[in-house]
Amino acid sequence: MGDTLYKVDRNGELTTSLASKLPELTNNGLTVTISLRDDIFFHDGTKFDGEAMAFTIQRFMNIGTLNYILSGRIKSIDVPEKYKIRLNLSRPSSSINGLLTSINLTPVSPKSYANHKNKFLNDNFIGTGPYKLDNFSPQQKQLKRFNLYWSTPAQNNGISFISLSNSSALFGALINGEIDVLLSNSIQEDQRKYLNTMSKKGEIVEGRGSALEIGYLTFRTNAPPFNKPIIRKAILHSLDRNLISKRVSYGLRKPLRSLVPPDINILAKSSWPKYNPYITKKLLTKAGFCNGEQLNIPLTFRSNVPADKLLALTWQAQVQRDFSECLKLSLNGVESTTIYRQLSKGAYQAVMLDWRGSYPDPEAYLSPLLSCERINRNVCEQGEAVISGSFWTDPLMENALKRSEELHGRKRLEALNKVEKIASNGGAYLPIWLLSPRAWAQKYISKPEFDSNGHLLLSRLKNINK
Amino acid sequence: MSRSKALIRYFITRLALAPVMLWIIASLVFLLLRIAPGDPVDAILGTRATELARESLRAKLGLDEPLHQQYIQFIQNLMHGDLGTALVNQEPVSNIIQKALPASIELGVTAFLIAITLGMAIGFIGTSKADGKTDLIGRLFGIGTYAIPPFWGAMLIQLLFAVVLGWFPIGGRFPANLTPPNGTGFYLFDSFWNRSFIDFQGTLKHLFLPAMTLGILLSGIFSRALRLNLTRTLESDYIEAARSRGISETQIIVKHAFPNALLPVLTIAGITVASLIGGALLIEVTFSWPGIAMRLQEAIAQRDYPVVQGIVVVIAALAVMISILVDLIIATIDPRISY
Repeated sequence: MGDTLYKVDRNGELTTSLASKLPELTNNGLTVTISLRDDIFFHDGTKFDGEAMAFTIQRFMNIGTLNYILSGRIKSIDVPEKYKIRLNLSRPSSSINGLLTSINLTPVSPKSYANHKNKFLNDNFIGTGPYKLDNFSPQQKQLKRFNLYWSTPAQNNGISFISLSNSSALFGALINGEIDVLLSNSIQEDQRKYLNTMSKKGEIVEGRGSALEIGYLTFRTNAPPFNKPIIRKAILHSLDRNLISKRVSYGLRKPLRSLVPPDINILAKSSWPKYNPYITKKLLTKAGFCNGEQLNIPLTFRSNVPADKLLALTWQAQVQRDFSECLKLSLNGVESTTIYRQLSKGAYQAVMLDWRGSYPDPEAYLSPLLSCERINRNVCEQGEAVISGSFWTDPLMENALKRSEELHGRKRLEALNKVEKIASNGGAYLPIWLLSPRAWAQKYISKPEFDSNGHLLLSRLKNINK
Repeated sequence: MSRSKALIRYFITRLALAPVMLWIIASLVFLLLRIAPGDPVDAILGTRATELARESLRAKLGLDEPLHQQYIQFIQNLMHGDLGTALVNQEPVSNIIQKALPASIELGVTAFLIAITLGMAIGFIGTSKADGKTDLIGRLFGIGTYAIPPFWGAMLIQLLFAVVLGWFPIGGRFPANLTPPNGTGFYLFDSFWNRSFIDFQGTLKHLFLPAMTLGILLSGIFSRALRLNLTRTLESDYIEAARSRGISETQIIVKHAFPNALLPVLTIAGITVASLIGGALLIEVTFSWPGIAMRLQEAIAQRDYPVVQGIVVVIAALAVMISILVDLIIATIDPRISY
């Protein structure tokens, strides 16, 4: 229903969408000027212009629940011309390009939102996208094709959404032909596998987007046992990702050895070590374990996320198989909201989480996990690393992360790779797997496609029998 | 004091106690929610927000106020009928309840009618043919409805009738490609009132499986209660006297025993109706039924305090009202009851 200012193409390059040109950086990178298209209409018939874009960004900064993404970056917004906006930044930020592809900055009509400048409009949406909202209820939404759409019109007349509250219902609804397309990230692994097999047999069609969601473990590094780098290093080598991926997700979640998904970093390297039981045993022995002494690690997982529980159980069994004399995992399932609350308080020694950047850029993965505002040797006392529950930092890494904000292109990616390398040596995080968004459709529907942000392109769906 | 005066006094006393009960429930919910780990800020912002963003949102939501002030504010608003606004999307809680409650009532009432019809029929037939094959099947059915976990039963029914046979939709309340009827929020009534056969049929098809599942699972309570009470009544002296007067067995059961055996069933029915409004969670979740129980579950996960508090207070109020009503009916029709 909405459009972004820019998009990222398959090569990772920024391309225009609502903007007519690429962003222009001036004033030592402190000013970003964005030229806008002049042929765009909102669903209420009013024209999209600089004032509308400025209104949207300001509204998001005022009330957006994720407005912290912009906080500290955008100081003010000007509209120098009717179809131009100027963002005045508080510090140079090369990640601003990625930010401009964020769906959070989808423009809304100032006319329709005049009474909702600083409050939510819950049952309507007036944007510029290929569909307009026709009917809204928490469980059902109906979209109709917007005939004044500025770009390629939707290939279908509209979309009817229905939300089903559990994996079995979602799966069953596609199997019995009740729905045309199923989009779900929370569907159970065996059902995901079944759908994958069906698509291979040609009974349904499966579409897959770029893998943008990472699953990882965080270790609390400011308290035993993970305050010892040797223990962290030992654990980094202990996880058999291939086995876990095969057993838990039937190989549909790809093993991952970096924090940044390879799909958004053309220079991506797998910085984290491979599974090596020999090194794990050697390091644990060196740390005083294995000879009659067993290291017990309490591993916390989100009890309301089925894949996390399976992963925890599988890893526990693998540890029992490979390191029974040295290592033991004690599992502890906690509801996700409780984990989020207690993470920064250092409640968990090892905890399983996932993350998806707000925009497809390496910085959106590294900063939220690694950046630190107050450093005391290798302990982060304030910042994202505290919120992440690792409390780990490295002055060198922090400098490299900050420096990358002033770099562009290949040099920037190299700097961010260096950040990852230092982080992998630190061993406060252990990347496990990657999750791609998937959608399944009946065989009379075209193959579902995703954009670079991992969103299903509804406007490309069509009945191919017609 | 005459019986009618005593009844009125009893009714007024029960009504006067209702707000006290609601206050206790509301206070308990308020406190329990704050004791639970995690708060709405975590649920809204996730793990990544900065401390500044968290503090700012906490202040915006009024969560930075001392607990006693939050409590006083909550009770004051409640006394004025203001249930507050949802923390997650700023929607008035009364709107959320207004949207979700009709769905739950529609499901609950239909399930209740199925349960009472089925349960009474099984109980009645079982008693009239006591210790025969029919009675045995009826008793096994009753035990089965107790023993089967509701979500498991619901999933089996869903699998058979929606996935394998494809006779009914797998979930939801209304066909996705149609616009829900405008009106009261009771789709059966609204579509009937608007004379839209397609809407009515769509609503009925969506309602059938969840209502039938819930109805069957509840029917055991009624069949067992009726069978037990009817058997006991049939052994009483006045029934023996009726038999000795040569009245037929059917007449004895229908005219003499049944009305007396019905009183305990009425009490159970009252409790069941009250619990159905908020207690059909597993059925609502399995069938993706957008009722109040499912909304409550979402609100708890999001730590959306005002929504949880509002829903619990409304459910409690309804339960109290139904309970008073049932007590009043029983007190009116049963002369043995003193109050």
